[in-house]
Amino acid sequence: MDTTFSQAAWLIPLFPLAAFLLLLAFGRSSRMIGVLLGSVSSLAGFVLSLLVLIEHMTKGQHDYQYAVKWIDTGSIVFKAGFEVTNLTALMLVVVTAVSFLVNVYSAGYMKGDERISVFYSYVALFTFSMLGLVLADNMLTLYVFWELVGVCSFLLVGFWFSKPEARAAAKKAFIVTRIGDAGLLLGILLLYWYMPDHALDFVRIGNAFEGGTGVIAASVTTWIAILIFIGAVGKSGQFPLHVWLPDAMEGPTPISALIHAATMVAAGVYLVARTFDIFQASQTAMDIVAYIGGFTAIFAATIGVAQNDIKRILAYSTVSQLGYMMMALGLNSMTGGIFHLFTHAFFKALLFLGAGSVIHAVHTQNIQEMGGLGSKMKITAWTFGIGALALSGIPPFSGFWSKDMILNIAYHEKPALFVIGVVAAFFTAFYMARLFFLVFMGKPKGERHAHESPPSMTGPLIVLAVLAVVAGFVQTPWNDTLGNWLTDGAEQENGGGGLVMVISAAIGLLGLYMGWLVFVKGMISRDFVSSRAPWLVRLLERKYYIDELYEAAIVRPLRALGGLLNGIDDYVVDGLVRAAGGAAFLIGRGGTRMQNGQVQTYGLITAFALVILIAAVALRRFW
Amino acid sequence: MDAAQQLQSLTWSDAAYLAPEWILIAFMIVLAVLDLFLPRRALTGWLTLAGLLTSLGFVIWRLTELAGATPQAGADGQAVSGVIRIMADSYRIDYFSSLLKIIFLVATALIVLMSLGTVRKADIPDRGEFYYLLLPAVCGAMIMASSGDMITLYIGLELLSITTYVLVGIRKHSVQSTEAAFKYVVTGGISSALILFGMSYLYGITGATNLGAIGEGLKAHAIDFPAILYVAFFFILAGLGIKIAAAPFHYWSTDVYQGAPTPVTAFLAVVSKGAAFAVIFRIVYNLAFYSSSPGKPVADDVFLVLLILAAAAMLVGSTMALRQYNVKRLFALSGVANAGYMLVPLGLSIKGMHASGVGEFIFYLAAYLLMTIGALTVYAVIAKSTSQEDVGGFAGLYYRAPWTAAAMIVFMLSLAGLPVTGGFFGKLFILLGTVQSKDYWIAAVMVVSSVISYYFYFGLIRQMFMRSTNEADVEVPATSGIVIWLCAAATVALGIVPGPALDWINSHFSLVNDLFISMG
Repeated sequence: MDTTFSQAAWLIPLFPLAAFLLLLAFGRSSRMIGVLLGSVSSLAGFVLSLLVLIEHMTKGQHDYQYAVKWIDTGSIVFKAGFEVTNLTALMLVVVTAVSFLVNVYSAGYMKGDERISVFYSYVALFTFSMLGLVLADNMLTLYVFWELVGVCSFLLVGFWFSKPEARAAAKKAFIVTRIGDAGLLLGILLLYWYMPDHALDFVRIGNAFEGGTGVIAASVTTWIAILIFIGAVGKSGQFPLHVWLPDAMEGPTPISALIHAATMVAAGVYLVARTFDIFQASQTAMDIVAYIGGFTAIFAATIGVAQNDIKRILAYSTVSQLGYMMMALGLNSMTGGIFHLFTHAFFKALLFLGAGSVIHAVHTQNIQEMGGLGSKMKITAWTFGIGALALSGIPPFSGFWSKDMILNIAYHEKPALFVIGVVAAFFTAFYMARLFFLVFMGKPKGERHAHESPPSMTGPLIVLAVLAVVAGFVQTPWNDTLGNWLTDGAEQENGGGGLVMVISAAIGLLGLYMGWLVFVKGMISRDFVSSRAPWLVRLLERKYYIDELYEAAIVRPLRALGGLLNGIDDYVVDGLVRAAGGAAFLIGRGGTRMQNGQVQTYGLITAFALVILIAAVALRRFW
Repeated sequence: MDAAQQLQSLTWSDAAYLAPEWILIAFMIVLAVLDLFLPRRALTGWLTLAGLLTSLGFVIWRLTELAGATPQAGADGQAVSGVIRIMADSYRIDYFSSLLKIIFLVATALIVLMSLGTVRKADIPDRGEFYYLLLPAVCGAMIMASSGDMITLYIGLELLSITTYVLVGIRKHSVQSTEAAFKYVVTGGISSALILFGMSYLYGITGATNLGAIGEGLKAHAIDFPAILYVAFFFILAGLGIKIAAAPFHYWSTDVYQGAPTPVTAFLAVVSKGAAFAVIFRIVYNLAFYSSSPGKPVADDVFLVLLILAAAAMLVGSTMALRQYNVKRLFALSGVANAGYMLVPLGLSIKGMHASGVGEFIFYLAAYLLMTIGALTVYAVIAKSTSQEDVGGFAGLYYRAPWTAAAMIVFMLSLAGLPVTGGFFGKLFILLGTVQSKDYWIAAVMVVSSVISYYFYFGLIRQMFMRSTNEADVEVPATSGIVIWLCAAATVALGIVPGPALDWINSHFSLVNDLFISMG
């Protein structure tokens, strides 16, 4: 029952924070300092996180919580602190591990960028914020870090701010997630209002909602859960707030791997898991979570089929996989959601970093312009292949086990969602096959001098590939380690999965086979669909016209309103301000006009002023 | 009162009280002679500084003695209430004058220190004279602060004026400097004429030159000569208004400040202005209250005129500065606006809850001293290395000399009246005074003028953060660096602990003892 490392867990975010501050102060002095500080600090965080996790593996380990007074206004006291539970321990390891690998990878990927130190300082700030979010022991601290990761995401998506697309994407990412954040804030306020003692820490929130004890009215509970979920929808790119995530691919690829695949976008899932007691107390909220998740899973998977940008395909795949996680949570399985989060973090980071390696070599992101890279980039091809198999849900790769678990639950709980999940899995396998075959097989196109990336980039790929293979074995139908550990044995989800396993594996293989038929063998013509139903392809290419819909329904009217208000500001308010400023200038000019450098004028002014003063002030007394 | 007391001669014991002034004169004479033999003129500067500091030491010593003395009525009337009165109240050493003398001496010492690093031989050929002429000038200012008699007061005024005429024109080879000196002489002449004219009327009514005696005389005769009293006060105020550069009597200041060497500009802005304020305080507080008569509230009108001048100075100073790009002219106009702020506590008079006008004035003068001398030193340093006289010289200062830029930001914040600086509390205390005496309109004028002034103070700050076009390195001489940092540190210190400073002034200062010259 030793909690030595858990007590020191607050140190974990401080490593990257220190790196950030040092980079802020000395970042300009050397190009290598960023690589060094970023990697060392995240490695230190990883080691400590691992120790915390191992400590928590011992049976019967308790959660450790510590908080200090943060704001004390007399009647209102806010505390800030950290809490180490099994869930947070797991998240700590995921975040620090991916962060460390991305830091190492960036040393190669960002080598030529002149702002590499700035890049590393942002990454360090992000890692700090993300770890703070994970460790937060109450909703308010969580919210602070929640916004901080949003800011870091904004900074990093717009890192190449000289590109207009990057600027636009950064803005879009920030604004769209802010919509979700507003929901979360309202949820927190509602929670604050109704919680006994206005407590916001997770322990007491858990106590208040556990088992629907009725401390808080059912309708209020539903609203709180929905509002919190809206925050998660924004951060985790769920429909209808998913639009920012594909655009966020304008950021450097390591960032896509770290923030927009493995960690920040998973924060929404983590948030729901962290406040799972609230959701469990409201069946309505749970259903909403499940259906939104399921819909997002299939919706994004179909879009992924028609995209040509390697990173955007992966981005839609991320949206789709996050949908699976939400679906699992909505089906009352925290284990399923977190398990998929865990495996997905590794194989999706692997895929993004692999994509980065490809982009690094061929300087394009369009998969139609690539081909035959497999022979030139063996390590990248092999590791990317492993990632693709894991994502497609092919046994025994990690993605299979976690996806299978979710499908298994859906099969028992809500068969409709099971069907959706299976179809989405088919599309997933299909677009991954398309991606892999177009990029690595076939004849080379365009760039002919592609070559393998440096060891600093392939190293992390190999590590992640190993993890993508083995990470799934923590929880299999025959082995309930993760579920037992994560939920203290509350969730027992075993057995009866034989049929689902077969279906799941078969659908994945079918998707891959179809992809092989179309893109390698050419048995089925590539324009098989586009020639018969061009509207369907167009619909998918345009991503169901969601962006256009928002543009027409929300952005334009808001712009018009903004324009109107701006007009009022420009002409009415500014007019008044300008008039005031103009008056000041006018008085000044009047004064300056008399300042003609002629001393006799000055004397005259003095005389006149004296006369006027006497006339105005004194003479009235003699009337 | 009998003529014997009026013409009481200077005794040896009285002379001892005048040690600070004697020291300045002695140093001046010795330096004038030494200057002929000394090969290195910088030494003159250091000796001048030594003279100033010695004098300062005596003033402080006297002040601590004053603080320790128990009020008692001396037989010869020399030590009533701890105030030392020499030559039948012609010369008074009280808290008011001692505090002002400290301010003048500290300011002049800082100015000498700043000159040591920034004055170039090519610019000022007679550097020896430049330094030792500051001594009689500050001596004149001290006499003005201590005078209780119109004659000594006028002598102090002219001592200060004439030496500063020379100082303004000391850049002999610069047309600008010569022109400025000429304008200053003419304007100074107008000012002296106005003051003397007003004083002669007061003498005509009461037959006395001693302010206390005039006050007594007015009690009896004010009712007979209301019109003449108006003329007397208004002429005196106009004359002194020129000296403090309050609008609309300020037009000389921009031309003169620009033409004068920067240290002299600082001297005019702080010491000259402060001494004139001391005289206004003395005259108005001693005489105005006795000059009202039924139907002719002269006192109220005098205070009203002071407030009008204050408002005009604040508004004209800050609006004219909006389009001013020459730094020294800018500071001249900023000085006009600041003269307005300092006139406010004076013009509020003593009524209602408001009796701390002198404390507010002295606190603001101290803050004004620090920020003006500090900012002008930064300007002098920059002007020396870039030869640029307009605000463009500050462009990119943050990148060329970040620490100097930081100090400059402190001065600008203080001038703009933002925390945490002395200027903020200086303005705040004055504003609180206006609220206490319920003169809200002048408070509104203060606020408006402050807001307008942000435009050019922040314009300077903005310049410092712009990318520099000229990459000339800014070299800060050690002595200038000391001045900049002393001023910046003291400005911030006044901004952090303003309470004790103001409390100390207010607790030791009593209107009755210090300003009013009673004929006991």
